Formats: sequence, C-alpha cells, structure tokens
Amino acid sequence: MSDILVRAKGLRREFGNGQSPVVAVAEATFEIREGDRIALVGPSGSGKTSLMHMIAGLDEPSAGVIEWPALGRAEDLRPGPVSIAFQGPSLLPPLTVSENVALPILLAGGAEADATAAAQVLIDEVGLSEMASKLPEEISGGQAQRAGVARALVGRPRLILADEPTGQLDRASAAELITMMFRHVEAAGAALVIASHDASVAERMPLRWTMTDRKLQTEAPCTF
Amino acid sequence: MYVLTWLWGLLRRRPMRVAGTVAGIAIAVALLGSLGAFFAASKAHMTKRAVSGVIVDWQVQITPGTNPVTAGRAIAAAPGVVKSLPVGYAPATGLTASAGGTVQATGPGKVLGLPPGYTAAFPGEIRFLLGAHSGVLLAQQTAANLHATVGTIIKIGRQGLPPLPVRVQGVVDLPAADSMFQTIGVLPGAAPQAPPDNVVLLPAAQWQAAFGSLQRTRPAAVYTEYHLKLSPALPPDPAAAFADVTARAKNLETRLSGGGLVGDNLGAQLDAARGDAVYAELLFLFLGLPGAVLAALITGVIGAAGGERRRREQALLRIRGASPRTILWLAGAEALLVGVLGSAIGLAGAVIASRLAFGASGFGSTVGQAIGWAAIAALVGLALAALTIGGPAWRDARTLSVRGARDVVGRARRPLWARLYLDVVLLVVAVVVFWRAARSGYQILLAPEGVTSISVSYETFLAPLALWVGAALLSWRISTAVLSRGRPALARATRPLAGGLSGVVAASMSRQRRLLSRGLMIIGLTASFAISTAIFNTTYSKQSVVDAQLTNGADVTAATTAATGLPPGVFAATRRLNGVAAVQPMMHRFAYVGNDLQDLFGINPRTIGTATPMSDAFFQGGNASAVLAALAARPDAVLVSEETVLTYQLRMGDLLRLRVQSARDHAYHLIPFHFVGVVREFPTAPKDSFFIAKASYVARVTGSPAYQDMLVRTNGSPPAVAREVRHVLGPASGAVVQDLSSQLKITLSGLTALDLSGLTRLELAFAFILAAAASGLVLALGLVERRRTFAIAAALGARSRQLASFVWSEAIYVTIGGILLGVLSGWALSFIIVKILTGVFDPPPPHLFVPSAYLAALGGVTCGAIVAAGAGVIRALRRPAAGIIRDL
Repeated sequence: MSDILVRAKGLRREFGNGQSPVVAVAEATFEIREGDRIALVGPSGSGKTSLMHMIAGLDEPSAGVIEWPALGRAEDLRPGPVSIAFQGPSLLPPLTVSENVALPILLAGGAEADATAAAQVLIDEVGLSEMASKLPEEISGGQAQRAGVARALVGRPRLILADEPTGQLDRASAAELITMMFRHVEAAGAALVIASHDASVAERMPLRWTMTDRKLQTEAPCTF
Repeated sequence: MYVLTWLWGLLRRRPMRVAGTVAGIAIAVALLGSLGAFFAASKAHMTKRAVSGVIVDWQVQITPGTNPVTAGRAIAAAPGVVKSLPVGYAPATGLTASAGGTVQATGPGKVLGLPPGYTAAFPGEIRFLLGAHSGVLLAQQTAANLHATVGTIIKIGRQGLPPLPVRVQGVVDLPAADSMFQTIGVLPGAAPQAPPDNVVLLPAAQWQAAFGSLQRTRPAAVYTEYHLKLSPALPPDPAAAFADVTARAKNLETRLSGGGLVGDNLGAQLDAARGDAVYAELLFLFLGLPGAVLAALITGVIGAAGGERRRREQALLRIRGASPRTILWLAGAEALLVGVLGSAIGLAGAVIASRLAFGASGFGSTVGQAIGWAAIAALVGLALAALTIGGPAWRDARTLSVRGARDVVGRARRPLWARLYLDVVLLVVAVVVFWRAARSGYQILLAPEGVTSISVSYETFLAPLALWVGAALLSWRISTAVLSRGRPALARATRPLAGGLSGVVAASMSRQRRLLSRGLMIIGLTASFAISTAIFNTTYSKQSVVDAQLTNGADVTAATTAATGLPPGVFAATRRLNGVAAVQPMMHRFAYVGNDLQDLFGINPRTIGTATPMSDAFFQGGNASAVLAALAARPDAVLVSEETVLTYQLRMGDLLRLRVQSARDHAYHLIPFHFVGVVREFPTAPKDSFFIAKASYVARVTGSPAYQDMLVRTNGSPPAVAREVRHVLGPASGAVVQDLSSQLKITLSGLTALDLSGLTRLELAFAFILAAAASGLVLALGLVERRRTFAIAAALGARSRQLASFVWSEAIYVTIGGILLGVLSGWALSFIIVKILTGVFDPPPPHLFVPSAYLAALGGVTCGAIVAAGAGVIRALRRPAAGIIRDL
C-alpha cells in the first residue's frame, strides 16, 4: 500500500466574518496517496483554488482536519515535499525566469550551481530556453505559466499541485505541458493534483474529483 | 454624489493611504507655517528693538537764515512727531579750570543749550554720574581733563567774546554722543566724525544769553537743532519701516523748504536692522525650504506607494465606463480632501510647534502676517496634494494601457535628467557659484548707505541648492550603477545575511535599483538637511555667544570710566566669590594716532585668555596664541585694528608714536609703540579702531596702574555672579556690571539680532521627524509596495529568516548609502552655507561646530526607524497576506 500523503476530513473554509461569511469550501473529505493523478474539476467559484491552497498548507481550514502523514508538518511542506503552480501570475518580478525557477531549490538550502542547472533543464523542457534571462514583465502570460510549472517541478516534490496550469495555453502546448508533468511525476513517484476546466486535461487523469456546490466528491473511497 | 461615495469609500477602505499622504502634507505645512511665523515675528521684533534702541529719532538742524521758532512750529506739526524740543549748539574755543593751584586747559569743545524737560523727553540721552540733574553739566571725560567736579568753576572760551565762567553742578555721561554731535547733511559714505572730547551742557536760557549774539553773527557755527521723538507706529518689517521713516524725513525737509536738515537716527538703526532682516529671509530660504521640499518628497513617495493600487482602481473604473474626465474628478476630490485635511492639521501643528519652540501665539506679529503665512502654508499643502495625487492620476488617465500598467522593475530607460547629466551640471554650477562668491569675499548683501532698497545676491544661493540637489541625483546615479554592475560584490556582501540566497538577494536588489536608489536618495537628502541644519545652528549659536562675549567682554564684566579705575581690592575680592573661575583686569585709556582719538586697552597677554576666550578669528592670521605671544615678547608691543592699519599704511614692526595722556601732568605725550599684530575684534573693544598693548607698559608710560575694566569667567550663573560683583563694588564705584546672559538678549546688531534658539529647537525637531519618516516610511513603503512579491516568495516556502534577508539587505544598503550621502553632502552644505552667510557671523567662526550628541541621536533615530520598519515588515510578511494568496 502506497503512503498517504494528505488526509483531510470535513474541511470547510469560509472567508470574511460577521453574519454572512462567504463559504469557499463547504465540505471536503479525501486522501491523496503517493503516485495519485487527480483531476480536480468544477465550475468557476466552486472552491477548487481554496481547496488546493489548504492541501498545500498555504491556508488553514475554518473547520475540519487536514494532515500530511508522509510529508510532515504544515510549516515544512514548502519548499520541499509539496509544490504548487499557481493559477495567476506568480513569478517574482525582480527575478529572471531562470532565477524564478531555481528559487525553490535555493529556498530549501540547495547550492546555487545545482539550482541553476536543475532550473535550466526544466526551462528547456517547457520550451523557454530563450526566455531564461528575461524578467517576468518581458514574457507573455502563457510563458509565465509554463515557467510557473517548471518552478513547481524543480525541487522534485512528492506532491505537486497545479491550479489551472494550462489556462493560458493553446491545446497542443497544454497537452505537451501535461505530458511533461506526467513524466516528471512518474520519475519522482510523486502525486499530482491538477485543478482544471479543461476536459482534455481531466480526461488524462486516472482520478477525477468534482467540486459541486462547494462540496468535494471523490471517486476513491477513503480509508477512514 | 458619486464623488462623495468615492471619498467615503477611500476613508473606509484606504485609511492608511489617506492618513500617510495627509501626514506628509501636514509636516510640510507645519514646517512652513512655523518657520514663516518665526521669521515674521523675528522681523517685527528686530524693528521693535531697533526703534527701542534710539532715544532721539530725528535731529533737525535749522539752516542759517531760518527762523527757529517758525521752523519749530512746522516740525511739531509734521505727521507722526510726538515730541519736539530745540537744542542749542555752540562751539567753545577751549575750557579752563583751576584746581589745586594749577590751571587745566582743554582744546575746543561744544556747548549745548538744553530746554527744560529735555531729560524727561529723551530719557537715556544723558546719564547722570555726579551732582545735580539740571543746571551746568559737564561731560565725564571733560571733567577728567579739567580735574573738575561738582562746584568747580570752569571758563568756556567763546569766539570774539570773553570767556564765560560757570559753576559745574553735575557730571554726566553722554551715551549717544555719536548721534548727538553728528554732522547733519553730509553725503552718504562720508567718514563719520568723532564726537567732541569736551562738552558742557547749559540750561537753554543760559545758553541763549551766552551764545545768542553769536548765533546771529555766526549762524553756521552756532545753531539750533530740534530733537524729535516719532510715533512708534511703524511697519513691522524693518525694510518697510526704514522706507517709511526715510520718506517721512524727506517729507519734513520738503515742508521746511530747505529750512532744516534731518539727521535720521531712527532710519540709521532701521537701516542696520533691515540688513539683519534680509539675512533672516535668507536663513528662511536655507533652513525652511529644504525641509518643506523633503516633506513634499516624502509625501510623493507615500503617494507613489499607492500608485499601483490606484492604477488598478483607475483601470477598473475605465472598464466600468468612467471617462478620463470622471477619473480626474475623483482624483481631484481626493487631492482636495487630503490637501484640506493635511493643511488644517499642519496649521494646527504649526501653532503648537511655534508655541512650544519659541512661545509664539500666532503666525506673525500682525493679523496680516498671520493670515498671509497661514494662507501660504495652506496653499502649499493644497499644491502638494494636487501634485502627489492629481498629477499621477492625470498622467495615468492620459497614458495608461494594460501593458503600461504592468510593473516596471529594472530595465526601464534612464530618466531624462540622468541622460542629460543634470547631476554633474548642478555640481559644476555649485562649484562655480561658490568660487565666484568666495572671490567677492562672500558679499551677498549690498546695501549702499542712503539707498532705501537692499540688493541681495540671490544667485549665490544657487551654490548650496545646486549642491544639495546635484549630490542627491549623483547618489542616485552611483547607486543605480553599483546595483546594476556590482552584483557579484553585492552577493558577497549579503552572504552573511542571506547565505545561499545571496545571489538571488543581490539580483533582486539589482532589479529594484530604482526603488532602492530612490530610498537611498531620500534618506540622504534628509540626513543632509538634518546634518547641515544642526551644524549651522550649532555654529550660529556658538558664534552668538562669542559675539555676546565680544560685546560684553567676558561672562561678567565690570567697567568704569573713571581715570582712577576700579577699586584695587575688587579683583582679589571677586576671585574669592562663588562661581568665579578667573578674573583679569584690563586698562582702558585713550590714545591719539594722528588726529584720531582711539581706545587703548592694556592687558596681560599671557593671562587674558583665562578670563575670556581668545578666538583665532580676533586676529589677522588666525592664530591667537602666536599674536598674543608676539605682544608678550616685547614691552612696547601694540596690536592695531585692521582699519587703522589700512588708514595709516602700517607695516609689521613699524614704530608707532601715539599720544597718550599722562596721569602725572594730564597732558598728552608722544609714546613709542611697536606694531606687532593686527586685531580685528577684542572683548569690550569697539568695532572700528582701537589698540591693544601690554598693561605693564601702559601703566609705566601713563604713570597710572589703574584698571578700568574687570573680566570675569564664571563656572556658575553669570547673572548671579554679576549680582555678587555689584555687591563687592558697591553703589559708590559708578562701575557698570554686565553679564553675558543679559547681553545675549540685548545685543542688537549682527549675529544675535536673530535669536535662533527657538528656531533651532523647531528645526531639529522637524529634522528628527523627517529623518524618522524618510528612513522608516520610505523603507516600509518600498517593501509594502512589494507585498505581492514577498507573499509569492512565502507561498513558495521562503522562511521568515529568508524573507528577512531580503528586507535587511535592502535596509542596510539604503541606510548606509543614505547616511554616507547625508554626511558628505551635509558637511559640504554646512561649509558652503556658513561661508556664504559670513556676514551673519561676527566674528566668522574658526571652524564648523558639530553637535555630536544631536547627530548621534539623529543617527539613532534613523537606524531605529529603519529597524522598526524592517521588523514590522518582516512580521507582516511572516504570514502571507490572505488576499494576495487568494489571487494567486
């Protein structure tokens, strides 16, 4: 039996306070295991991003429990066993594409030379070789998104979360990027969760989770 | 309506943005308002002091052939004339007196006829020393020359008439002898004439009986002057008051149709005061405007910190269909709100600051001044708001596009000024202007005697201004060059803080070079302002003490005009008093050089410095020790004032024969002296011409060891010691005892005309606020502007320590760079300002005085503000902003 990377029960996330808080996630109970490939689907505003942030330890649930049995404490998840490719522009403006991609390794205490070399490999793979020394303001939204995916992969994490990673890409480029992600996940034995509207992306994932009315419906039964 | 909704939303949703901009504007308005109030009040105070120092405002000399009675009526009826009394002037061919079996005779003199009530009408014009307060009064020096006292019969020589015998009823001092005996109607620039040595004051009737016939036959020599007191209602500005009084004097001369000439004593005093007033304006330019400019810059930075958010809001408004006109309306409303709030708070702050710093109750001495200064300060506040909020909104509304709205980090084109090398041009301008000012001897104030308007060489002020701005821009250029080309060095420098992230930190700093260089420049400008202000103010206040010491002579002085000097036992008694550190006696005699009677002081050159500081600036060559050693080395050595050296073309080592009065026969004898040095100023000495010789030699050649002056250095309160010294001397001595603290308050001209102590408190307090605001706020806002960057880094897993390494690396760079710029340009600015304002200093300072404690405190405040800002930012970054993360 593979390791359980994430386990959550009765997760709920509300924003705002007072008498009418906004409910982003009403209920989510799930497990993510090593090697899982999960497509998280649902309409806009259904709570996919909020759930991804809670899985990444970026946000805390308003109610319920989430733990990372095989990954450690929430504060040790990033950089290291968990990485996330954000939906929006998330490259650091003062750093070049290459420096952005290398950053997780450096934050984890890696050597600069190793980080640069590993970043270069991924930059080549996502087709940004010529953009490596460009600043985020000098590249397109699609290129920035590919750089964000490269950054999520560079530290060889055990759980990769990608929030609409192909939102600004054409169909062919998106397919290519997903393939590349699969290859890396396969090589590292990692789990991959992709939140996407794109049916073609979701179709390629063995597991499909759906957010309906801000509630998560999973295909696999939980062990608890 | 939508404007009100927008403003209400701003106040509710963006309170920090509004509060920050309001605070910046309030600081600028408060600084301008309180400085304006200070200088307006100072100028009014100068006028008051100038007026109060004049006893007889005008002396109108009736010209020959004019009926004095008719002229007197016209004078009394002239506008603004409060009192008008006729005084008769007649020459005496000589005075003689018999005493102790010998006959004493003097040279020519003057005999005045005083009307009844003169001393009551002009109190202070005559100081009574001995005997009666009316009747026949003899001037003190004349009494000394004639060995006369109350009851002595003297004979007044009259041309063509037998000598007039009169009995002396009192001995008096004439403190205003210079103006009392002035020659009225001489051309401007003519050399002033010394007052007569021998003066007798007679009652008007007695004078009329003695000289009435001569007045008819020799009207040019025997004449009547009307002494006038004017209404004190004058414009508060000395220049305006001078113009007003001068015009009134001309008007009176016109009314008299050539029958009288006006000797304008009040105008002369105001003339001196208006020069000081112009210096006050210049000090305002130096000390006030840079502070206001800094406050404006800081306000601009606060405004710019919200620029990205404002652009986003503007873009949203445009998407929703708002026209550029609507957006400008909203920005205008925001600017108005912030401007009005900032100005109101600033004006209230100015009133409080003025009250705390120098006890002012309003913005000026008159309602007009108060309204004027408040309006100017408020208008500046509104203009600042328009510039910092309306300006960017207008620019964005015209040019904003999606692409343009994106962050520009490090590869933007260099600004226009950098491409034009404006920094280098400004520094060259500063050097050239300063060099020209130095060549002209720093003569920035030109006030030809008799001319109403003062011309100021305002272009000289380009030197410090161009230096300040040029140095700041150059620091920006250097900083951006260091950050863009010095990445490897930066990475090495940040390694202790950032460890393995040092390369990324250096890269980040390099790409943020515009932001960091802006912060460095503002901190540098603020530090430069604070340092130059503090150094200037300290130098100013030190020199004002030196000036007062020069005028007063020492912490406490006792002086008598009696030839017999101070009682011999008083020196030892004073030494024993509590609070007395040192006592030095000083002789005060008179000596003729050619036909000029000058003061001669006898000192002990080896010990004089124990009682009063011997500044290098007192002596030509700038070495007090060497000059005093030269004086000590030769028994007959004498130091001569600069003016006398020039007038008589003296060369070092020349034999100088002075006529000095001997105590043995009271006659003047030729005494040889050797000229060994040039003295510019000396404690208690007059400003123009005097001699300093060794007391032992003066005692020998005059046959009298009497000391007229006593200089006391205190280690306690000068007024308290002065009281004790008065007690030791007793009322019978006739000696005048003065102390430094009182002198500081009454010195009229030159340096202490403007009491900067309140201003110094105000300036230094604002410098503190600006330093804290500039360093802390600029850094904090710079980092807050990049909250999103730090939030992403935190989302990627950056630890607090790693985020802190970015923050502290930038903070240290900006602080060190800013302080370095501040220290260098602050020192250079102080040097230039003190040099340019040489005219303010009397004597010029030997060097700049650095207020170490204040500067250390300032450094502490700057570093403290930066540490607090950095720590606050790090604390805020520990948990990434939920709003930003949600947007990712």
